[in-house]
Amino acid sequence: MATEGTPAPAGRPKRKLGLGLGCLVVVIIGLLILGTWGVGQYNSLVSLDQKVRSQWAQVENAYQRRADLIPNLVETVKGAADFEKETYTAVAEARSKVGQIRLDENLLNNSEAFAKFQAAQDELGSAISRLLVAVEKYPDLKATQNFRDLQVQLEGTENRITVERQRFNESAQAFNTKRMSFPTVLFAGFFGSRFAEKAYFTAQPGAETAPKVKF
Amino acid sequence: MRSFRAGAFALCLLLSFGLSLSRAADIQIPPSPSRWATDTAGFLSAGALDALDQKLEAYAQQTGHQVIVYIGGTTEGYPIEEFAAKAFEAWKVGRQGLDDGLALFIMAEDRAVRIEVGYGLESIVPDITAGRIINDILIPKVRAGDADGAVSDAVAAILAAISGEAVPIQESKRPGQGSARAPFIIFAVIIFAIIFLTSPSLALWLLVNILGGGSHGSGGGSGSIGRVFPKSGSSGGWRSGSGGGGFRSSGGGGFRGGGGRSGGGGASGRW
Repeated sequence: MATEGTPAPAGRPKRKLGLGLGCLVVVIIGLLILGTWGVGQYNSLVSLDQKVRSQWAQVENAYQRRADLIPNLVETVKGAADFEKETYTAVAEARSKVGQIRLDENLLNNSEAFAKFQAAQDELGSAISRLLVAVEKYPDLKATQNFRDLQVQLEGTENRITVERQRFNESAQAFNTKRMSFPTVLFAGFFGSRFAEKAYFTAQPGAETAPKVKF
Repeated sequence: MRSFRAGAFALCLLLSFGLSLSRAADIQIPPSPSRWATDTAGFLSAGALDALDQKLEAYAQQTGHQVIVYIGGTTEGYPIEEFAAKAFEAWKVGRQGLDDGLALFIMAEDRAVRIEVGYGLESIVPDITAGRIINDILIPKVRAGDADGAVSDAVAAILAAISGEAVPIQESKRPGQGSARAPFIIFAVIIFAIIFLTSPSLALWLLVNILGGGSHGSGGGSGSIGRVFPKSGSSGGWRSGSGGGGFRSSGGGGFRGGGGRSGGGGASGRW
């Protein structure tokens, strides 16, 4: 009797210990798998985020290029006799408004600031368009080599803006799609604004009226 | 619940926006040409086209710069600027990293011409230069009825503008694919072996669970990597596999894009 009873109390803790150890290992493996998955998700979000940022830099470059052309443009049309003053002062004002907007990293995650930035840039674009329309009345000015070169540069700049904006939208879309799809959407929430949704450029009614050169 | 609904709403918005985006990008880009000068519209005479093709191939072999001529019929209402930017992106004219390609597009029916300049050549062939080549050389000759002379003179002017800036041909590097998973896998196998020795039934249960849940995990991880890579590849980042840019553009025997990019630089005109 006594010999039958003794092995049982000794064997049960041993089995319990083994089970506990096994559970622990299961938990560790589970955490490891979860961790690897999380790292993969995080890294792919980071790489998409970086792509959006670098594309944003290209957009800024293109806008900067346009802003840099403005003084030259204003100077050139100023020289023409009795050129409408309000058209080029409108351009200069829109240019300074654009310059006042502070560009920071948050712009991409802040749709309000982003919309403001876009509105200011669009206003500059339409001011330039109006100026170029006004120039149509001055064939002498239009014919000068200086103005023709300026027009080519402006056109090239507008085209760059279009191209880079579109690519920005594509990269922002790739990021947002990844960020909003399940189950990444649960994971991305942990990081707060680090992986906030990106804002898009929207086509506005004036987008089609970018300055075009007529030959 | 509210956040879920907001998420679903945002997702719907995103989807509808994605659809509108892809619809906006509906422009049809022909497959990458295999010659340096392509004329699908019968704009040039056969002799002029061949001469142009040989000249551009020789130029690419000498200097490494990929300069191509593409003559088509029409862009079907799309601006030639959009066609040019998309085609340049799809055909990857120029070398990867250097972005030193240039493409002359002519749409015979649309009477439109565009010079699309790769990022790397923007300072060497600025918009003004491209504009002058179009307005002062190409268009007057086309108007005068001399299409062959217009295109060959324009190409000669383009090559003259680029010359002197040749960069030695470079092999592009391909980054090694991540082996960061390997230590983890080894570690997991060791742990599994320990469990198997201590408690076979638990190990069996684990195996079933890992195969179920684990394939989920790794599937999500590798899937996301797979999705990231083609994207970054298309904009000239890392490129892996046979589609990549690790070849010499001077291999001869027709045009093949080297991974160059452009950003809407250049000029266009109409006659």
